[in-house]
Amino acid sequence: MRRTKILAAGAAIGLAAAVAGCSSTKHTGASGGSNASGNAVPALSANLKAGGTVTIANETGATWNCQFNPLTTNQQEANGYLYESLLYVNPLQSTAAPTPMLATGYSWNSTDTQLTFDIRPGVKWSDGTAFSAQDVAYTFNLVKQYSSLDTFALWTAPAGGGAGLTGVTASGDKVTMTFSANASVFFYDVANMMPIVPEHIWSKVGNPTNYTDTKPVGTGPFVVSSCSADNIKYTANKTYWMPNEPHVQTIDYPAYLSNDPANNDLASGKANWGGQYIPSVNSFYVSKSTNNHIWSPPVANVSLIPNTAQGPTANLGVRQAIAYALDRAQIASIGEQGEEPAANQTGVVTPTFNAFLNSSALSSSGYASQNLTKAAAALKTAGYSPSHPLSLTVKTVTGYTDWDADLQVIKQELAGIGIDVTVLDEADNTFTSDLQNGNFQVIMYGPPAGPTPYYELHLMLDSANDQAIGTAAQGDYGRYKNSAVDAAFGQYAAATSASAQQAALEQVETYMINDVPLIPVVESVDWYQYSTADLEGWPSAADAYAQPSPWTYPDVEQVLLRLYSKSAQ
Amino acid sequence: MRFVVRRLSMFLFTLWAAMTLNFFIPRFMPGNPVQALQARIRVKESPAALASILSSFGYKPNAGLVPQYLTYLKDMLTGQWGASIGLSLGEPVRDIILQAAPWTLGLIGLTTVVAFALGNVAGIVAGWRRGGTLDSWLPSTLVVTANLPYYWVGMLLILLFATTLNWLPPDFNYDPTILPGFSPGFIGSVLQHAVLPAFTLLVTSIGGWILTMRNNMITTVAEDYVRMARAKGLADRKIMFGYAARNAMLPNISGFAMSLGFVLSGSVLVEYVFNYPGLGYQLLNAVDNNDYPLMQVLFMLYTVAVLVALLAADFFMVWLDPRAREKG
Repeated sequence: MRRTKILAAGAAIGLAAAVAGCSSTKHTGASGGSNASGNAVPALSANLKAGGTVTIANETGATWNCQFNPLTTNQQEANGYLYESLLYVNPLQSTAAPTPMLATGYSWNSTDTQLTFDIRPGVKWSDGTAFSAQDVAYTFNLVKQYSSLDTFALWTAPAGGGAGLTGVTASGDKVTMTFSANASVFFYDVANMMPIVPEHIWSKVGNPTNYTDTKPVGTGPFVVSSCSADNIKYTANKTYWMPNEPHVQTIDYPAYLSNDPANNDLASGKANWGGQYIPSVNSFYVSKSTNNHIWSPPVANVSLIPNTAQGPTANLGVRQAIAYALDRAQIASIGEQGEEPAANQTGVVTPTFNAFLNSSALSSSGYASQNLTKAAAALKTAGYSPSHPLSLTVKTVTGYTDWDADLQVIKQELAGIGIDVTVLDEADNTFTSDLQNGNFQVIMYGPPAGPTPYYELHLMLDSANDQAIGTAAQGDYGRYKNSAVDAAFGQYAAATSASAQQAALEQVETYMINDVPLIPVVESVDWYQYSTADLEGWPSAADAYAQPSPWTYPDVEQVLLRLYSKSAQ
Repeated sequence: MRFVVRRLSMFLFTLWAAMTLNFFIPRFMPGNPVQALQARIRVKESPAALASILSSFGYKPNAGLVPQYLTYLKDMLTGQWGASIGLSLGEPVRDIILQAAPWTLGLIGLTTVVAFALGNVAGIVAGWRRGGTLDSWLPSTLVVTANLPYYWVGMLLILLFATTLNWLPPDFNYDPTILPGFSPGFIGSVLQHAVLPAFTLLVTSIGGWILTMRNNMITTVAEDYVRMARAKGLADRKIMFGYAARNAMLPNISGFAMSLGFVLSGSVLVEYVFNYPGLGYQLLNAVDNNDYPLMQVLFMLYTVAVLVALLAADFFMVWLDPRAREKG
């Protein structure tokens, strides 16, 4: 049994303060190490001594069930800690080469229909068994056999929106995957998102869909030391393949049921890694200690989705009027308290995806800043004016208080041109159902992020995702139909060069400006708070080596591999 | 005997009605478990694939409502509660409840008993010394505190004692870095973590007991038998507890039985504010995620607890008060 920290209840008062540390350590900024590429082991800070504890304060909304099946719904606590993928692709540096993990390299054939991975030799599972290319082929074929595990639709035909994987075979140290069409846009899912599981264990567990995996065996840098409903404690994997890694020896991941307690523990220094919205973060968190830092890279848009199939927003003039009338900078500074930046009408998230932004198209469009004259004119073409006002209902999800604040600003801004906005806060379930069924005039939504703008825009605009209103759609919630845009997405997917991808995306950006099928308002960010009281090596704006939130997997592994304890050195 | 049969059959009928509503109402809520799962894990998997994950844990999206209802009744009675299809996907409902129930019973159950005991004693004293020092400020203060929303009191206490003064932990049922066991550190940690939520509940619930008790005392003290006791020259203390309080407490007893019934349903908001992983918190999660198996078991337990408490209160009152027996 672990020795308890507290001998008398009274003594514990100082506990939080003790952990917070009073050392006036200066923030040394970015630690060494760059994104390695090629066949080398990632060049992480060498010669660092082991020690230190990471305590994560991240709202998980539920107590832990102590299951670690990385293929179903336990990804967040399994992937990156216990299980690893073949390569690591950094969504924040989409042009950088992938970091080799379980694979040391990869190659495509000329048509991007066959992908070969070189599998790293000398890796061991945490039970001591040797890892091999067979395990990789086994994992991919396992999700083929149990299609409900095929989270990324890898084995679904391209016509059904899948990657069109047709076979995965292992031979020696190589794994070869064949696809029925150009699958380059699925590289992120195949190489980065798919955790590899051990064949010698998983082949004996029966149906892997409801395998609870309470004693996980993986290749990752950590193993589960103890787990209760309240906390997962991970300790360093002694047989981890990367030499001298991980430096940090323990991770505590308490289950926070809501934001406030997690935020309190971050502010008091009890926890050193956070990943959720903190209102007034500067006074509540940053100012509490010189060791407290934040950095929130934007990764996707929070958009108003107009219903383009029915109602007043089916009229282009109305959509244009809304897009012209929004002062996005004001929404970001008031609604988001400056913690999320303003978005732009091209749908390309800046500065993260600056390389893809067609900035001349944006500036000539007139959407670069608020333009009330154009807004009023556009509204007039649609037949509305302040004397004949338009009433719109905007739906949003309950509990996203920053979105509520955004919408209050939006409501005022639109009132100025004669659009009367009613905001409707809906419970999670109702919201999802209305979003998918197209049951809205305008709805506020932030889709998941991807490694390039393609992923978000494709999800939101490609009419292959389309369904009739009243039937649940898995994308294109606004029911936007434009065969030219669909074709541009096709060109992007079939492109074999970066410039061809760029050209395809610029076409989509043009339609975003001309048709206003989405109205991006602010950019959603990875919330991220970190304390340098004892730990260094955190990702930062200067060294954006991974998505920084503790809930982004498999990025979390990259962070854990770089962290080190200052007191242990 | 007729009374017992009538009460029991009423009990069974109410239970059946509550369980039937409990089955149908969640299923008429907007959304379904598949959509909830999809919103939660945010991947592009088709709803059919997600439904098949849920099906492997017992979710039957395509079965008719009537056969589902019959299976539900059978499962509830036989304790075949199945597995969660919400946030704790695949975890047996029985385990979830066994894990959460002790915390709720411990925190809220004990607080209810303490609030009842303290409240009654204070009410007796205040009513006995009507217009005295205690009576002049206590009831008026309590009218205010009893009407404060307890989640608000909770947040205020967190702000004061945890965030500003840093004296007490604002969250969890114990320090999650301690391994549970019978160690002084663990028990100390449990007690320390219970202080703020328990105090929140105490402050907001004690007022009701004191006010009723005080008012009942004032009425009872004016009764002839109390005057008689005084005339006999009995000690004040004996009259206060043995004559006045004993009778004044009757209405509070049935209220107490009812509030014990409500202990199980926890105080959803208190558990939420203090990150206290009890039953109330599980209920919130279950409702948010259309987790039918967990939701229906929790509601059933709450219903049974309240109904049993009411039944017990009925029987107890009859035993205490012969007049009720006559009417019954």
